[in-house]
Amino acid sequence: MPIKLAGESLNACSGCEISILDMGERLLKLLEFVSIIHFPLLMDSKQGKNNSRIVKLPKADVGLISGSIKTDEHLELALAMRDSCDFIVALGTCATHGGIPALANSFHNEDLLEYCFNTEGTDKTDGFPSHIVPELLDACYALDEHINVDIFLPGCPPHPDHIFRALQSIDKNESFSQSKKSVCDNCPATRDGKGQVKTLKRALELPRWHAGDDKKEGFKCFLEQGFLCMGPVTRGGCGGDKEHARCIMTQIPCRGCYGPVKKESNQRLSMLNALASNGIDISSLPETLSMLRFSGGHGLLRPLPRIKES
Amino acid sequence: MPSRFEPIIIGFLCNWCSYTGADLAGVARLQYPPNLRPIRVMCTGMVHPDLVMEAFSQGADGVMIMGCHPGECHYLEGNTKAAVRAKVISVILQDIGVDPNRFELKWISSAEGSVFAQLITDFTMRIQKLGPHKVKSCEYRDRETIR
Repeated sequence: MPIKLAGESLNACSGCEISILDMGERLLKLLEFVSIIHFPLLMDSKQGKNNSRIVKLPKADVGLISGSIKTDEHLELALAMRDSCDFIVALGTCATHGGIPALANSFHNEDLLEYCFNTEGTDKTDGFPSHIVPELLDACYALDEHINVDIFLPGCPPHPDHIFRALQSIDKNESFSQSKKSVCDNCPATRDGKGQVKTLKRALELPRWHAGDDKKEGFKCFLEQGFLCMGPVTRGGCGGDKEHARCIMTQIPCRGCYGPVKKESNQRLSMLNALASNGIDISSLPETLSMLRFSGGHGLLRPLPRIKES
Repeated sequence: MPSRFEPIIIGFLCNWCSYTGADLAGVARLQYPPNLRPIRVMCTGMVHPDLVMEAFSQGADGVMIMGCHPGECHYLEGNTKAAVRAKVISVILQDIGVDPNRFELKWISSAEGSVFAQLITDFTMRIQKLGPHKVKSCEYRDRETIR
């Protein structure tokens, strides 16, 4: 009997769902042992009848949740999914670590609303929408801050290889594990040891790149060239089971989308530590909050205390 | 009578200078508060910031790192690495909502037993004034309502 699959997206961009569809021919294989019973992005199924505001989801074996929790609607959906599914899979970095939406955690909610509704280009509004639309929570949370999660699949988006393998392991009742190594671990760049770099270059300059036919050799580590690459503090595997890291292979330094290597560590802290102990003055960096671009949940990003006006 | 707040202070002491200095304070029978939980490490240069963060997230009220004076490191430059890391730690502590005054990096040589005792006394009093450190993750995740 196929396993029943339900899916919901919370504060998300639906990129993770695209990644499910990106499996290629394996999608047909997947549909042999999975039957999708609820997935608002892929098929028509509405929760709640007669406009009732009570969320009722069908009972399922596996629940795929993408996105972080920012409004009370997201929270209600996440709790409803937890109640109706045996397994919860956190799909994507938003669900596992907060993701891009969690960058909002460095601002107060009032400032966010002010920025959205009262910028120079907009007409003045009397107030912010307060009814019908869901209420904002005080922060943008990762999924496991509110519900228990069984499988974490980080990535922006997670590679189809991992999604397929995770669902397959649930079907076969096996344990699922992902790479616990960093992006650097199978990076094809050549490293000459600790570099002499004392300042970081801006991304406006191009890195040197001599990749020939064999992409495994021919270019020097981005960090040794002086570009900020989040590789050392980011979990590897974004290229799938066989390929190298995707951004690196297109000459772009890693941005850190797979979240920290160890689930509970802080990418910004680890990266600053690595830079500082290699002789780069961290006060020379224009800003460092964006090192938490993908993992600002779990209270790692928070608004600066308001300065009292005298 | 309400009992006085006794903070938990985690200390990372380098094997070559500070731990020996702390030993000297003990041998010399100097008095200092018993709040410090010393952890002997080979060098302050090996204390990764994650260790300090973990101490705070597990409920420590203060964390100290103590090493050799600059230029006296047994491994030549471990303590200068610790010094730049301490700056990083202070920046991050502020951003995750911990008072950076709860963290301190100090140099103690193996002959400075009295300095060690004085330092621990001062730091303990400072943490007592700051009060208990609330682990912030509880504020974000209400453990009783989790399903």
